[in-house]
Amino acid sequence: MGEKAEIIIADHLLIPRSSQSTESNKTGSWRFLRPRYDEKTAPCSAACPAGEDIAMIEMLTTQGLFKEAWDTILKENPFPAICGRVCFHPCERRCNRGEFDEAIAIHAIERFLADTAARNEFKSSLEKQPERKEKIAVIGAGPSGLAAAYFLAILGYACDVFESMPEAGGVLRWGIPEYRLPVSVLRSEIVRIEDMGVRIYTGTSVSRDFLSNARGEYDAVFMGCGHSRSRKLAIPGEGLEGIEEGIVFLDRIRRGETDAVKGTVAVIGGGNTAVDVARSVVRLGGKALIVYRRRRQDMPAFEDEISMALEEGVEIRELLAPVRIDRAGDYFTLTVQAMRVAGEETDGRAAIEPEVDKADEIVIQKIFKAIGEEAAEEWYNPAERGKQRLTLGNSVLVHRDDGIVVAYGGDLTNDTKSVVHAVASGKEAAMALDVFFRKGFHAIQQELAAYMVGNGPSLSMETYMKGRRSERNHHVVAYDEINIDYFNLAARITQPRLLIDERKKTFGEIDLKISANLAIREAERCFNCGLCNQCDNCYLFCPDLAVCRDDSLQGRHINYDYCKGCGLCVVECPRNAMVLEEEGQ
Amino acid sequence: MELMVHDQEYMSSGHVGCPGCGAAIAMRFLLKALGDKIIIILPACCWSVIAGPYPQSTLHVPVIHSAFETGGAVASGVKAALDMKGDKETTVVTWAGDGGTFDIGFQALSGAVERNEDFIYVCYDNEAYMNTGIQRSSSTPYGAWTTTTPGDEWKRLRKKNIVEALVAHRIPYAATANIAFPEDLVRKAKKAQSITGSKFLHIYASCPTGWRIASELSIKIARMAVQTNIFPLYEVEDGVKYTINYRPKEYPVSEYFKLQGRFQHLTEEDLEHIQKMVDEDWALLLRKAGEHPS
Ligand SMILES: Cc1ncc(C[n+]2csc(CCOP(=O)(O)OP(=O)(O)O)c2C)c(N)n1
Ligand code: SF4
Ligand code: SF4
Ligand SMILES: [Mg+2]
Repeated sequence: MGEKAEIIIADHLLIPRSSQSTESNKTGSWRFLRPRYDEKTAPCSAACPAGEDIAMIEMLTTQGLFKEAWDTILKENPFPAICGRVCFHPCERRCNRGEFDEAIAIHAIERFLADTAARNEFKSSLEKQPERKEKIAVIGAGPSGLAAAYFLAILGYACDVFESMPEAGGVLRWGIPEYRLPVSVLRSEIVRIEDMGVRIYTGTSVSRDFLSNARGEYDAVFMGCGHSRSRKLAIPGEGLEGIEEGIVFLDRIRRGETDAVKGTVAVIGGGNTAVDVARSVVRLGGKALIVYRRRRQDMPAFEDEISMALEEGVEIRELLAPVRIDRAGDYFTLTVQAMRVAGEETDGRAAIEPEVDKADEIVIQKIFKAIGEEAAEEWYNPAERGKQRLTLGNSVLVHRDDGIVVAYGGDLTNDTKSVVHAVASGKEAAMALDVFFRKGFHAIQQELAAYMVGNGPSLSMETYMKGRRSERNHHVVAYDEINIDYFNLAARITQPRLLIDERKKTFGEIDLKISANLAIREAERCFNCGLCNQCDNCYLFCPDLAVCRDDSLQGRHINYDYCKGCGLCVVECPRNAMVLEEEGQ
Repeated sequence: MELMVHDQEYMSSGHVGCPGCGAAIAMRFLLKALGDKIIIILPACCWSVIAGPYPQSTLHVPVIHSAFETGGAVASGVKAALDMKGDKETTVVTWAGDGGTFDIGFQALSGAVERNEDFIYVCYDNEAYMNTGIQRSSSTPYGAWTTTTPGDEWKRLRKKNIVEALVAHRIPYAATANIAFPEDLVRKAKKAQSITGSKFLHIYASCPTGWRIASELSIKIARMAVQTNIFPLYEVEDGVKYTINYRPKEYPVSEYFKLQGRFQHLTEEDLEHIQKMVDEDWALLLRKAGEHPS
């Protein structure tokens, strides 16, 4: 004690020291399940008739890659600015997020991207296929005809579009009111199609013998003439002066020809035309009464449009069937038969029958007929005969005896008369014609099935052109395949709109722009069903360090030398972009 | 999910942890947080095996394998040796299982932290002696099957609250963490590294083999432990300042129990009883943290 402690340092520490890594143990040999990256199909994209790659669009939007997101829309739909406004967005009804809190406002983001593209004058980066020798005539420059021309141009075909009206657009130009679709928006979308080399001949009507004479000049014809003639009510008094067709009224408004509407007006019908007419009447100073045979929920008009009409003061009188119209001075008397629900139609709408002894009279100052439209000329409809005939999801193809193929689309063939269904027709016909020219008519049906989004009927042009999307599994991601542990409740954005009082006074656009901030926040709510968004969970949670980052598009790969097949990565992938399979399958 | 840590890994593939091993994930996160200027003291536990048979080591940092009960003592010695060498940089970390912490290593741990030795003691908790074949420990939760609480003899005693025991020592930092919450885990490890004195991290680490769960559910179950309030995420500074780091979704405890084979025998009544205990513990924690129920 008291002495300085002596520190003894041993020459060699007599404990064994490990100096090798464990990497020589190939623990991958333990594995009997194998995880793999496997991107799948989002339900929204399968529900979008145009098959837009919505999960990808939302993902790019969250990254602020607005140009890339807009380009992604353009691969499948020539009209982001139009569809962002007027589409009834069936995608949102199938959105998985809807089961969690509220569906993603897909249409609002689409519109935002289109507005952003317009403001920044983005030029699309679409790639066109090498030029083809075949030439195609498109009859009608409505949404289906323009879409057909657009996709045919992408596929390398020369297209001539014939339009009888003085300006292209069809229903987009002459039917849908300005408060839903400003004409400047329509024009800039059409200019983009013309810039691709498509020639549009406006003011050029085409007669019945066009089809017979097409051979020589054209190799195929796309018929997209739409439904532009009002169907008849077939009741006494319908021909009285002052009873107008709804579509003619809408057309006049879009030409800038209408005067004020006075008093109460009845609009007979329940489709979008009826609602558009009623809302236009309100804007011109009248009071609109929609008279419909079935119930409000059976109206074929889009739900959003109906509820906005009600907000604007349109009144809906349901379960009333018009039986006759009489005129008394400045007034009309519309006699209606009360109807009642008697079961259900196959499409889910109410079946109706007259309620005995219950008739009523409605006195109004004007009547618009809007019970639906049909083809203006009989020969616009798909020909019944030909060498071969094929009915596809959104179009009909007839291989004529003279060798050319006539494809019919848009309202001529579609049950749901919507803009996006018209786009679907144009795309489907373009792809079908391409298959026809390359492989023959017989190959069309089977070939197209391979390019369906999910289980169809939507088709993907990106897949057809062997883009990255063609690697996608057709499995449609279900809600319970999302790992919702990774998501927090968040309210859907509310679309900023003109005040109702302002709406009643002007044809100005109702839906206002949303900011980039808001769009990004909304896009961030998206699960990105089936798509890898590089969240890195798989990498992070791997206990075996077998998920390795790399420079590939996937951004990572699995090192099967060490992956024990625990499956953690697959379960912790929030969006089902991976799959676990039995080894050796 | 992006972790605010280096992409660097301090662990190799080819280790012999079971598929889906939560303890392997816990170690990986801890190393990512602390970096390689550390020495690990490793008392007997599953990790003694995972680390590799001689002459292999899966860890890229120095490891001293130590006797089961000596985690606290060996760390104290290593720290003293580093001090003598003038090494102020190296962090001393004990990495022990729940058996080695709650039970046999408790006196060494208690002694070390009472002396406020400057080190981080990490207990990765898989709630039983897994390495030797799933024997119950004082960390095994109420209701669990183990090979020493088999059949109807399932454990009817509470899990020891180890963090509170450490807090009672008034150490500078004690915290819980969970492999399903990597950001929180990494932040706490870094925070512990920045503090001088004794730090204790209690990391929930699921065990597919011992809990009779599917390997792919390791993280999901770990997350559920937090969401049900069974394993709250909180930290305590200087033995008094409580902070609850995450307000859980407060799912019913049955959501946690139904996923695991070790709890399959529990009846509705048992679960109700457990729910009560969990609610009680949560209320107590809220009180300590000065927070209110949501
Ligand atoms: C003094 C002593 N008693 C018993 C053992 C055997 N033994 C080695 S690891 C272990 C269990 C460790 O349990 P725990 O600390 O919970 O770690 P786990 O294996 O669960 O990861 C036991 C009992 C030992 N190594 N030393
Ligand atoms: S969450 Fe996103 S990807 Fe999934 S269905 Fe909805 S919009 Fe589509
Ligand atoms: S876990 Fe994340 S990074 Fe991994 S595949 Fe899924 S989305 Fe992609
Ligand atoms: Mg243990």
